Amino acid sequence: MTGFTFQARGVTKTFPGVVALDQVNLSLMPGSVHALLGENGAGKSTLIKIMTGVHRHDAGTMDIDGAPFSPHSTREAIAAGVGVVHQERNLIPQFSIAENIFLETLSADPFKPIDYPKLYRDAQEWLDLLEIDADPSAKVEDLTVAKMQLVEIAKALALNSRILMLDEPTASLTQHETERLFGIVGRLRADGVSLVFVSHKLEEVQEICDQVTVLRDGRNACESQPLAGLGRQDIVRLMIGRTEQIPTWDQRDCRDRDVALELRQVTTNAGHQDVSLNLHQGEVLGLYGLVGSGRTELAKAIIGADKIISGAVLVDGSERSISSVAEALHENRIGYVSEDRKSEGLILMHSVLENAGITVWRRLQNAIWAFTDRAVEKTVSPVIKKLEVRTPSLQQTTGNLSGGNQQKISVAKWLAANVKILIVDEPTVGVDIKTKAYVHELIRELADAGTSVLLITSDMPEMVTVADRILVMDEFQIRGEVINDRDYDRVSHEIMKHIHGASEVAAE
Amino acid sequence: MMQSAMKTDWFGPFIVSVAAIIIVGLLKPSFLTPFNIQILLLAISVNALVAFAQMVIIGIGQMNLSVGAIGGLAAISFAGMMEVWGLPWPIASVLALMIGLLAGVLNGVLVALTGVSAFVITLATLSVFKGINLGITEAQPFYEIPETVKWIGNASVFGTVPLLFIPFAVTTVVLWYFLFRLPLGRTILAVGGNTHAAELSGISVPQAEIVAHAISGLLAALAGIMLVARLELGQPSIGDDWLILSFAAPVIGGAVLTGGRVSVAGTCFGVVIIAIITQVLVLFNIDPFLVQVVLGLLILWAVGVNRLREIRGQRQVAGGPA
Repeated sequence: MTGFTFQARGVTKTFPGVVALDQVNLSLMPGSVHALLGENGAGKSTLIKIMTGVHRHDAGTMDIDGAPFSPHSTREAIAAGVGVVHQERNLIPQFSIAENIFLETLSADPFKPIDYPKLYRDAQEWLDLLEIDADPSAKVEDLTVAKMQLVEIAKALALNSRILMLDEPTASLTQHETERLFGIVGRLRADGVSLVFVSHKLEEVQEICDQVTVLRDGRNACESQPLAGLGRQDIVRLMIGRTEQIPTWDQRDCRDRDVALELRQVTTNAGHQDVSLNLHQGEVLGLYGLVGSGRTELAKAIIGADKIISGAVLVDGSERSISSVAEALHENRIGYVSEDRKSEGLILMHSVLENAGITVWRRLQNAIWAFTDRAVEKTVSPVIKKLEVRTPSLQQTTGNLSGGNQQKISVAKWLAANVKILIVDEPTVGVDIKTKAYVHELIRELADAGTSVLLITSDMPEMVTVADRILVMDEFQIRGEVINDRDYDRVSHEIMKHIHGASEVAAE
Repeated sequence: MMQSAMKTDWFGPFIVSVAAIIIVGLLKPSFLTPFNIQILLLAISVNALVAFAQMVIIGIGQMNLSVGAIGGLAAISFAGMMEVWGLPWPIASVLALMIGLLAGVLNGVLVALTGVSAFVITLATLSVFKGINLGITEAQPFYEIPETVKWIGNASVFGTVPLLFIPFAVTTVVLWYFLFRLPLGRTILAVGGNTHAAELSGISVPQAEIVAHAISGLLAALAGIMLVARLELGQPSIGDDWLILSFAAPVIGGAVLTGGRVSVAGTCFGVVIIAIITQVLVLFNIDPFLVQVVLGLLILWAVGVNRLREIRGQRQVAGGPA
């Protein structure tokens, strides 16, 4: 057996009040894909940050090819051959692809004029290698999300990375783009690169990874094990410390109930043509589609954040014209839980009370147009309690809470407003298994209590678990309807058939 | 009680203010004479309104470079309407306030409609308002200020408290109530905290922007009018030196320049600190031009402290059970 490329032994990191990593070990072999798994807060990000020189570890050792490795800065980590493709994009949108790929080298000599023809030629080599179909002089902001992801990988590789960490690389990719990415990962592995793959999607992990290290509460739940012998249930048990319980809920059919929300041949500014749908009372209507298929845009049109050009929106059977989110909320009782809670859902610097209460301020104002914190608290705290938001107090800054609790607050603010129709957009992206199950239960409870839910997700298991009926959206059109009888294989097959068309699936 | 006070934005500036008063008072007993206190309170009363005018805009995550120009325009309009048209002062002052309000609304509407940053919009309107000011006055002051106005500007109540302290005190309470109790005011801070989230929560962003700028204009005008009363002169240069102060005080008071977080009390103590420093330089016969230097350093210090707090906050988030 050849030596390890990278070894971490007993790495420990303490933040004020929290032990983020406790004696963690990790060994990466050349030419392999290593899955780094764990729930949110298990310590994955901290470990990556230590390996890339963002944080310093307090104790333990790291070495690369036997040489001690202890980066003080990201620059040092890069020099040692450690590259990372972050979940959040680290590209300068206004710069060209080539400039982004070679940003670190460009900035090395501040007074040397940039040789653009050479820069573009060099960049082209990397684009060719990764089979990215793009002009190196094109601006990054004009690329698709998937291409940006690939440019990030090119950037990391151009730095001569021998250890490449991919942090949730497929979160915003379509299935097809994911497959291409995996093709590239396979080639890099063949070239001897050590890859670290961080993902919440266990199906992908099992498809592409060789070894696995699982972190739980800052400790190794398993260390550099071959993935071959482990099943999904084994991995989940390692991650959460118990077996996963996938609820199998009864089939629900609400189609004979009154229609709470109806779209009649709606055409939007965003590009939908003649979209029609019915959401019944107490129904969980799934809207399945890949990223970029127009689901979020449709939701935003319904709540008045985006323009509807023609067609009709009916709430409880009567036609409404909703031109602002305020109208959607106050006059039609429609709420929207954004897929992007950090930039669209919450005001992280404000308190829990203010975030959860933002929708009720107007309702609670008294004779002199004022409201009191007490009144808001009275409305908000039962909801906070019901959702079991773990916060020391309502005055706590929302940004200081965990991702799962933040997600609960972005739901809580609509429950506080007592909405009748709730649009939930990708509620479990980047959320760990425990919280995910909780969110599913919550949606189910809301529906049982009579709230009509439009669930947008590209997570197939989630769709099959939660939705009563599923509409499939592709290219801003509704392609078909699937009645969910909780039979995963049948339902998922039906859905994919609507997206790809019958012929393609048959050819598989 | 004490612990919760220590966590607030105004506690730091408050302690600094108290410490400064004690230290300067010990070094220079003349600092605490009734006459000096009155001068200090007078400066604070006007400057606080200037700071509030900027604070509201900081709260929504923008900047208003035209605060001084609006204040100056309102000031010379106030004086001019009394001198040239012979309007009684209450009417002139209301009209001058309306001019400030309109100027603010103009800023707000331009920002809301065009989507151009407030920095650029108010840079342009700064020039427009100042130009109108100079066009009307030909850079000459209005001297004919009614005796009543002069009296208001320099009279005191309860011995050492200037009469102009009253509009400041009332504004402080009203502004706090507006920002922290009225949905409309909370809306401004919500937009400053996260525009997207606010919009998707049913808040009208253009409305919040227009209201914030309108209030900013109104407060700037009030400061300008009060300054006319205090100086007993419709000076066209009123407002020229407000810009640094208007940012310094809110920032010292804990405001975050990207928006969403301001403190009315903190801003008041920021104004107090600046007033004390200005006074000290005079009392100790230090070159008054140093005030500018000190103010600049003060802003850097305050921004640095805020930044440190922010970083520490992020560390805790990163280190906490994420």
